[in-house]
Amino acid sequence: MMTAVKQSGVWAVLLWPYLLAVSIPLDCRDEQGNMSRCPFISQEKLLDRIIQHAELISRISEESCSLFEELFVPFPLRLQRNTVGYACITKALPIPSSKSEIQQISDKWLLQSVLMLVQSWIEPLVYLQTTLDRYDNAPDVLLNKTKWVSEKLVSLEQGVVVLIRKMLDEGTLTTTYNEQDLLQYDVLPDMLESVMRDYTLLSCFKKDAHKMEIFLKLLKCRQTDKFNCA
Amino acid sequence: MQFYCCGRPSQTSYLSRASGHFSFVPLWVLSNSQRFVGGAMMTNVWEAVVLLLLPFLAPNAEGTQYSPPGKPALTRCRSPEKETFTCWWEPGSDGGLSTTYALYYRKENSETVYECPDYHTAGENSCFFNKNDTSIWVNYNITVVATNALGSSFSDPVDIDVVYIVKPNPPEELNVTIMEDKGWPYLRVSWKPPQKADTRSGWITLIYELRVKLEGEDDWEMHLAGQQKMFNIFSLRSGGSYHVQVRCKPDHGFWSEWSSADYIKVPDYFHREKSMWILITVFSTFIFLIFMCFLHMNSNSLKYYILPPIPGPKIKGFDKQLLKNGKSDEIFCALVVPDFPPTTSSKCENLMVEYLEVYVSEEQELILEESKELHNSLKCEGSTSDNDSGRGSCDSHTLLMDKCGEAKGDERQTDGEGHPMEMEAQMHQRDWKEGTLSSAYQDIVSPDMSSGRVKTWPSVFSPLHQCGSTSLNQMNSLAMAKQHCLSDNLSPPGSASSFLPQSGRSTTETHRPNYCEFYSSDKQLSSPKPQAQTHRKLQAHSDINISHKQAGLQSPALRPTEYVEVQRVNKEDMVLLQPVESGCVCGDGCPQVCQDYSKVKGLNSDNMLLLHRDVMEGEEVRSHCEKQETNGCITSHITPATQKPTDCIPTVTPIVQKEMGLAVSGYVDTAAMLTLPTH
Repeated sequence: MMTAVKQSGVWAVLLWPYLLAVSIPLDCRDEQGNMSRCPFISQEKLLDRIIQHAELISRISEESCSLFEELFVPFPLRLQRNTVGYACITKALPIPSSKSEIQQISDKWLLQSVLMLVQSWIEPLVYLQTTLDRYDNAPDVLLNKTKWVSEKLVSLEQGVVVLIRKMLDEGTLTTTYNEQDLLQYDVLPDMLESVMRDYTLLSCFKKDAHKMEIFLKLLKCRQTDKFNCA
Repeated sequence: MQFYCCGRPSQTSYLSRASGHFSFVPLWVLSNSQRFVGGAMMTNVWEAVVLLLLPFLAPNAEGTQYSPPGKPALTRCRSPEKETFTCWWEPGSDGGLSTTYALYYRKENSETVYECPDYHTAGENSCFFNKNDTSIWVNYNITVVATNALGSSFSDPVDIDVVYIVKPNPPEELNVTIMEDKGWPYLRVSWKPPQKADTRSGWITLIYELRVKLEGEDDWEMHLAGQQKMFNIFSLRSGGSYHVQVRCKPDHGFWSEWSSADYIKVPDYFHREKSMWILITVFSTFIFLIFMCFLHMNSNSLKYYILPPIPGPKIKGFDKQLLKNGKSDEIFCALVVPDFPPTTSSKCENLMVEYLEVYVSEEQELILEESKELHNSLKCEGSTSDNDSGRGSCDSHTLLMDKCGEAKGDERQTDGEGHPMEMEAQMHQRDWKEGTLSSAYQDIVSPDMSSGRVKTWPSVFSPLHQCGSTSLNQMNSLAMAKQHCLSDNLSPPGSASSFLPQSGRSTTETHRPNYCEFYSSDKQLSSPKPQAQTHRKLQAHSDINISHKQAGLQSPALRPTEYVEVQRVNKEDMVLLQPVESGCVCGDGCPQVCQDYSKVKGLNSDNMLLLHRDVMEGEEVRSHCEKQETNGCITSHITPATQKPTDCIPTVTPIVQKEMGLAVSGYVDTAAMLTLPTH
């Protein structure tokens, strides 16, 4: 945990240039010295950092999910090898789900998929934090992890946006605002139901974080070696 | 909904319908089969009827029971590269009939049931999903159905997600080489990821682990290598042969099997270790040599320390040469002292103890009384009496009632000239219960006595002439012995008053530190005063005698301490002392140099010279009958002189009559003197 926090700190330090970039209006051109505050970062470096970010998020989300499972989920209800009983919130998204499919889609779509995933998880993670605070004996470790993940997800989103702009030369993408049923959830009276819902949330996010990581890695492979990658 | 999978109709649908296990069939199977087999309903019904009646038609005709198949179970599903996967199941009992198995699956978010596309690629009881059928990050709901003529049974459904069931193949092309780093070798292990796993594109991220062991051993040493495909192993054993294996694991998934082992032999590189061992060997040899030199130089003293020499016999008249010659007659003749036992009183007087060391102090009286009681409880002190002290006799074994071994006496003998004599005097004095006459002591003190003691037991100290008889007044003798012992511890003359048992024990100024240990019992301090008084009286008496004799003393200039010969024991049980010359005082019968000292061996009734400790007080009397063995110069005259010590009077004559066979060791141990019974 400590190393993860340290690493995240390191990444935060490393990524602050582009964080500055995203915090400043995105019309900051790096070629012109219009706004000299914009630091320049190469595309490869940016992609590397995004990938490392995604790896970290994936790992921490896995740890959070297993920790939550240990603490709150009764043994019979535990998912075997992480199959979710409830449907994931991102099931409706047009995300490729096999390697062959991924091989067929373009870079743009890969990035778009990643962005969709990231954006669709920002809200639920914030919501998850509030629900976890309501737990009686949620340890600080769990709370810190989820808090960290939700913060880093925001950074990741910003990074992907910048990358899309760089790579695809497109304008800023409007964030797709998914109407999440989750947002209208009230606190369910049944504690078990609430626990299972949160558990499903964490499991789905774990899976989707892994998806993001894979997509980004494939994307990187495509950048370097177009012909042998997936 | 289609019941087809991959264009192939399922042939088990009607069977499932025909079976009697409708309840076990999942709803989707039922619904699908219903739609599918609409036309064949009639046939199915007839078949169902036949099947149902079959058990009744041929009931146990052949003795075998046919039954529907047992429930199969999905054992595991694995994907080697996250692109395809395989599921295996365990069949249940087949019920005696041929059973077929089918696997059905359903993806999440979809109601379509598919059947396994490939039953053969992965072997028996397996289902292989190829790339086109495999979706990642998607839940599969899988069921296996076992069917025979009588029915079918469904396994428990299993949910899997391919991402989490990845078990890659072992890494390949394991290569181990030996590299050198400043003379120390190390192993460089390198490998390649399994062929099928697409790690290059990032589709799978693998972490590796390798293990190493020496040939012939059982313990593996594990190393986690992370994502790198190369690893260095240090700290190798010279000349050892190593086995190396490697395995891998995806970030979510299972460890692969261990790869095939690679063997490597480390060359011998002992040069540095050998030099160290050479250095150590040389150094220890050097130390060993020094140690041997030291031992050799000090061999003699060490020898004496470890194995003290056993004293040879010092029987007067005993000639070793004669013994070697083998003529026993001559030997024994030589030993015979013509004058033994002396019969004349004058001789007796002369043959009495040559000298005594007397230390007298009031405290010593008490202590001497106590010491008497201590006799029985005396322990053989680790007497470190040195050679020069006559006090050794005080703690000789005979005095201690045989508590000490013979060796002790022997040791005394061999200590040297002066030791035994002084020791004897000591012993005698110790036996004397009272007799701490400090004043008398001082009178007796001869000027040239270093320690200011009057040695009143001279003959005892002479090892050779054995004239020193212990035929003293037992009372006084013991007392005097005590006095001697006690006062011996007083370094300055006349400081007897300060003598205390503890101090006596503790004073190490004198070179006789351990003599009077057995005085030290505190309980003895409380000896009654009247005893002391009487003893004092006696002591005074003897002192007077001593002083008388002292006048005519020929001061033995040869000795540092002056000895006084005990003339006789008078009727009051007093020892009459007479100064004695150095040298043989025994007179006629003592041809030998008075270097011997006598030591009383033991107790022997009627043959013992019993020195009677003052038993006036009575209750504290402990008879210490000491046997004094003499070699002829023993104070046999004591016997007639004093009839009081009846039993304990030494009948030395018997000893002599025995020829003493010179059974005696040649010296008289005054320590083991017995006290005469009170009279």
